[in-house]
Amino acid sequence: MPITQYGKHQVHYELIGDTDRPIITFLNGLTQNATLWRGYADYFVPRGYAVLAYDLLGQGNSSKPIIDIKLAMHADMLDHLLEQLGIEQTHLAAISFGGVIALDFAIRHGQRLRSLTVMSTFAELTPHLEFFGAVMLQGLAEIGLPYLQHLLYPLNMSSAWIATHHEQISAMKRAGFIGNDAYALQNLMESFIDFQPLTPDLARISVPTLIMNGEFDFFTPRECHEVIRRQISNSRLLLIQHAYHAFTLEYPAVTMRQLEVFLGQISDGTWEGDQSVWIAAENPDAPVQWLTCSGDWRRAIQTGEAKTLLHESIQPHTPARRSNP
Amino acid sequence: MIEASHYDQARERISTQGFTPEIQTKISLLLSFTKSGNLMFHAGVQWQPRLDPVHQAMLAQYSRELEALTLLSRTTQWSLNPALAMRGSQILAPLTLAWGQVMLPPGPLLNPRAAYRGISLGHAQLARIRLAPVIPDPTDPLNPFVVALQRIELENGRLLQTQIRLLKNMPTEIPLAERKARVAADQHLVNGVFNDFLRWLAAD
Repeated sequence: MPITQYGKHQVHYELIGDTDRPIITFLNGLTQNATLWRGYADYFVPRGYAVLAYDLLGQGNSSKPIIDIKLAMHADMLDHLLEQLGIEQTHLAAISFGGVIALDFAIRHGQRLRSLTVMSTFAELTPHLEFFGAVMLQGLAEIGLPYLQHLLYPLNMSSAWIATHHEQISAMKRAGFIGNDAYALQNLMESFIDFQPLTPDLARISVPTLIMNGEFDFFTPRECHEVIRRQISNSRLLLIQHAYHAFTLEYPAVTMRQLEVFLGQISDGTWEGDQSVWIAAENPDAPVQWLTCSGDWRRAIQTGEAKTLLHESIQPHTPARRSNP
Repeated sequence: MIEASHYDQARERISTQGFTPEIQTKISLLLSFTKSGNLMFHAGVQWQPRLDPVHQAMLAQYSRELEALTLLSRTTQWSLNPALAMRGSQILAPLTLAWGQVMLPPGPLLNPRAAYRGISLGHAQLARIRLAPVIPDPTDPLNPFVVALQRIELENGRLLQTQIRLLKNMPTEIPLAERKARVAADQHLVNGVFNDFLRWLAAD
């Protein structure tokens, strides 16, 4: 894996494909690393793109500072990496922790972007997310990395995925344990202590922006993505059916297809950033990929109209009185 | 960085041969040495004249490191092969030198740079020397040596908090750039030792 220098830090990256093609840069979630995007490179490089992925500071084979690391440093480092590689503009796709970095990058280095795709992410710490973050940090510090790893599986993946991969999870956790360092993850998480909401500056993002959110993502639920959708005028929200937080891993074929559709719309001029909400097709081979969303997408349940009940003559239920024995 | 393939090779060997006295001795030599180094440092700084939370965390770490050392000594099936101790000493020589530098007179209690180095070296050891990934899956969950390794691994993660907090927040006049360089150098040193160790563990 090639290395570039950012100050005293080493940054490991992978650039696959010719750099004269449109480039898609992928940003990792908290416990991920660049190698997880290789499947995406296998998909997009034959389709005319180049793919750049790298380990953030604190991840994989990049430097893992202990003493300090500011959240803003990550976006500045991406700017530096693109500069080093002679990349003027890129499509940027990012998940979770990487999504926050991507939003910050789009606000402060927007001239470098052709488009922005943020997945399972947030622009501000909702009270729910703040508590989640605190308990994750506490678990990491007081119990240890294996605890955090164990917690992340049900947070990230569906029951169906866990059931299917039950036998492999032990080996996956071991690989994650080797690749991650608790102190480095802790440092990344503690960089949120001074985190200022990005929400007031989101309106400065003008590039086409696709926001993707899993149907059942209770880690970064709909309210997190609604904040982003409402503030970025040139955006659309796309809901991934059946998905939890880490749908780039659980439904890679669906995710890649949606990203391909989005990038295709930009290149052929059919993209409309109108803050509308869509649902991704379950089948990546389906002729229509973005389905209209009816009802209130912020709700987990859809209520019917009262007249339907009246029409069917369903009366309020009154429990039958029990006769005394 | 620690090569993932070194872990795989060591685990493969243990999976094939089991936790033989030779393998247990190699692991215990490494852990005993690193914990003794950290204990020596703590013994040198624990009598500072205050009893604030930091000092209490240091005292707690001293006790826990001692517990880990005792646990290892009790559970290890030691090999009688003297060549293991000799080869182990060679692999651990960079750490012998580093802890020796920390403890040079006037010692870490009176030398702020030595104190910072001791904390940095302790951090690198607790953070980077991780043996849980060499334990084969499945393994006998009641094997005393495996239980000891798992307990030590878990405890290391907790002990590390003292070093993290001190490296980040302790009042010091040492410039930030020098502190960062110190921490990076100690990590590099421990990574080198541990990579060599894992290769040794995997070898016949």
